Amino acid sequence: MGRQFNGSEILLESLRRENVEVFFGLPGGVVLPLYDALYSSGIRHLLVRHEQAAAFAADGYARVTGRVGVCLGTSGPGATNLTTGLTSAMMDSIPVVALTGQVALPLIGKDAFQECDTIGISMPSTKRSFLVRSAADLPSVIHQAFKTAISGRPGPVLVDLPKSVLMESAEPTYPTTPGIAQLERIREWKDEDIERAAEMILESRRAVLYAGGGVIAANAWQELRELAELTHIPVTTTLMGLGAFPSAHPLSLGMLGMHGSYATNQSICNCDLLIGVGVRFDDRVTGRLKDFASLAKKIHIDVDPAELNKNVRVDIGLIGDARETLRALLEVLKRRLPEGKDLTPPARRQWLQRIESWRSEYPLTYDKYGHAVKPQYVIQTLSHYAAEDAIASVDVGQHQMWAAQYWEFRKPRTWLSSSGLGSMGYGFPAAMGAQLAFPNRQVIAIVGDGGFQMTLNDLATVAQYRVPVKIAIINNRSLGMVRQWQEIFFEKRYCDIDLTFSPDFAKLAESYGIRGVRVDHRTDVPDAVRDFLSDREPRLIDFWLDPAENVYPIVPPGGSLAEMVVEPPRVLVEEEEALDDLWAV
Amino acid sequence: MQWLLALETNGDPITSCRLMNIFRRKGVSIVTLAMAARTEGFSVVALVETPEHEVDHIFNFLRRVEGVENVTYYRHEPEGDASFVFIDADADSSSLARFLQTFPESKLIFGSHGKYLLEIPGDRKPSSASLDFGKQEILPFARVKSSIPQPELVAAQT
Ligand SMILES: Cc1ncc(C[n+]2csc(CCOP(=O)(O)OP(=O)(O)O)c2C)c(N)n1
Ligand SMILES: [Mg+2]
Repeated sequence: MGRQFNGSEILLESLRRENVEVFFGLPGGVVLPLYDALYSSGIRHLLVRHEQAAAFAADGYARVTGRVGVCLGTSGPGATNLTTGLTSAMMDSIPVVALTGQVALPLIGKDAFQECDTIGISMPSTKRSFLVRSAADLPSVIHQAFKTAISGRPGPVLVDLPKSVLMESAEPTYPTTPGIAQLERIREWKDEDIERAAEMILESRRAVLYAGGGVIAANAWQELRELAELTHIPVTTTLMGLGAFPSAHPLSLGMLGMHGSYATNQSICNCDLLIGVGVRFDDRVTGRLKDFASLAKKIHIDVDPAELNKNVRVDIGLIGDARETLRALLEVLKRRLPEGKDLTPPARRQWLQRIESWRSEYPLTYDKYGHAVKPQYVIQTLSHYAAEDAIASVDVGQHQMWAAQYWEFRKPRTWLSSSGLGSMGYGFPAAMGAQLAFPNRQVIAIVGDGGFQMTLNDLATVAQYRVPVKIAIINNRSLGMVRQWQEIFFEKRYCDIDLTFSPDFAKLAESYGIRGVRVDHRTDVPDAVRDFLSDREPRLIDFWLDPAENVYPIVPPGGSLAEMVVEPPRVLVEEEEALDDLWAV
Repeated sequence: MQWLLALETNGDPITSCRLMNIFRRKGVSIVTLAMAARTEGFSVVALVETPEHEVDHIFNFLRRVEGVENVTYYRHEPEGDASFVFIDADADSSSLARFLQTFPESKLIFGSHGKYLLEIPGDRKPSSASLDFGKQEILPFARVKSSIPQPELVAAQT
């Protein structure tokens, strides 16, 4: 008989074989055997202060590395606390494996202490969930869990671990782990579909590439860029796709949709061909569906067959991995073109000029001259002084949209945002996860004063492990995005958006042993940012800014992209004073 | 519009729970449903009501759900020729018996709780008239799409 190990040891060895270097969690009764095995194992574990942070950290780790992030919670409340993070990962197709403790097998279904139906609860929030029934099954279950999380359309997977399984002895047999590169890439299209798509591209005069998170998930950004440059087709990205195409590229249109720029949304309204790659035609992107790119033929590339024709009917649907599909398309396009032939027919050149004129008509802009600290200016300054490969992790709200508009995206996998679920509390712990993956890169959490208060308890974690995350609070003393909607769509009936009763974040940081400062003058911003980014320590800046600032442009909910409000209406003086009273600036 | 969904899942009951949850979430209304345990998993046949423009999405959604091994969907063909019939006979199996008398070479694809899905060999496609046994419970269907590779399927009209 071979050597016996207990379930906890087998689990940790299985994780090691999946190349897990670090995971995030918080112990409790049923996972004590696992923490006992962890005590002498080589795998790093970060003790978070709330399991939601563990799930977000695992998500952040996964987004920046392209590998599976791992989090852990004990049974019952530990598991339920993970679910928001898993749901966010599900919405954004992020590969995460969540390990949850469960009561011993004989107690399941008996309402034991800290028992909950974790599998049932996680069902809609995961790609798949496993209840492990024997320690001997652990190697294959863990392997399947990792494979499921990363393959096809990635997503979270949960493995529920009864205490008895963690304690029982077994002789493990480990499956051989194929590297990610060996994973089968989905490809359902036929060559003639690619030929047809190429034909459509060559015939188009006003095409737009619309790129989403699928481009990043499939590591297809080089192919995207090659296609754009070969065909001179401009590229807009979704919130999830930011980073897939460099913002400074002349063909970059930035983000589209509800807070997309005028030129970008106009180009969608006027294009004759829309090529969606790894996108899901989300309602925040499309606005009123029937008017979305209504003049355009549509090609949709996606790894998930269920995305095709889900919201918008397309002319050609190509089910396949974004990289493989773009490569095939590039090959056909190159073959169709005699060497050196310019693919920019005059019509396409005119199209780019037209976009340029929209851009100069209504550029993304803000008031740069007052004394108040403008959030857009803070984002631009952070982006300006940040390293080339710095990672920006945002929370949810106005600051997220300003970051999407004003951060300069240079590389993929440098942008973390809970985009589909839009979960406040994400930005800071996700930054922590990213920092664990890349200890030597700058990771900047750009958070709102509201969202930060949902997970700031993990300041203790970054302090304890000296995780050098930089926390920039875009502090408008309100639930800003909600305030903006109440202002614009609910006749300024401001209800429960006031966050004036918040801690002094700088002092709070100091109480955790983290340097914190408040910046409330525009002219202090550059120095403060330079200093903030200058060391390898966790730091916090509380940017105390103009509370009345709103995100523009905005497409009213239910409206079409053509109905966007480009600039703020002029505010009457009395109303400005009323706002001043409200926030007592 | 009525469709017949036939699914095979792995043996994990959570997959069946996911299926029911998907039907609920996607607004697929179930007219009748039967489930049977196989050696290695479960088979589900559901007669559902869902608009034509939704059914392809539902098929695609189901076929990529972890734990779902096969999905096939069939279009109700009240008038046209059909190669499949769905018999919903509850406890009374006489309609199945009568049908098998007329089409003895039919192949049983699924049978549980008085619900039967049968394939009629190609050369003996029943016309709607030949299916008129005086009961509403024998419904003709044409196979539209399947995740199992098939030689010839009727064109999807979605
Ligand atoms: C967990 C959660 N609860 C509620 C919301 C709804 N919501 C969206 S944005 C927002 C305001 C966020 O305020 P803050 O973090 O201060 O960011 P700001 O908009 O002010 O930049 C709220 C409440 C949400 N997205 N997530
Ligand atoms: Mg705020």
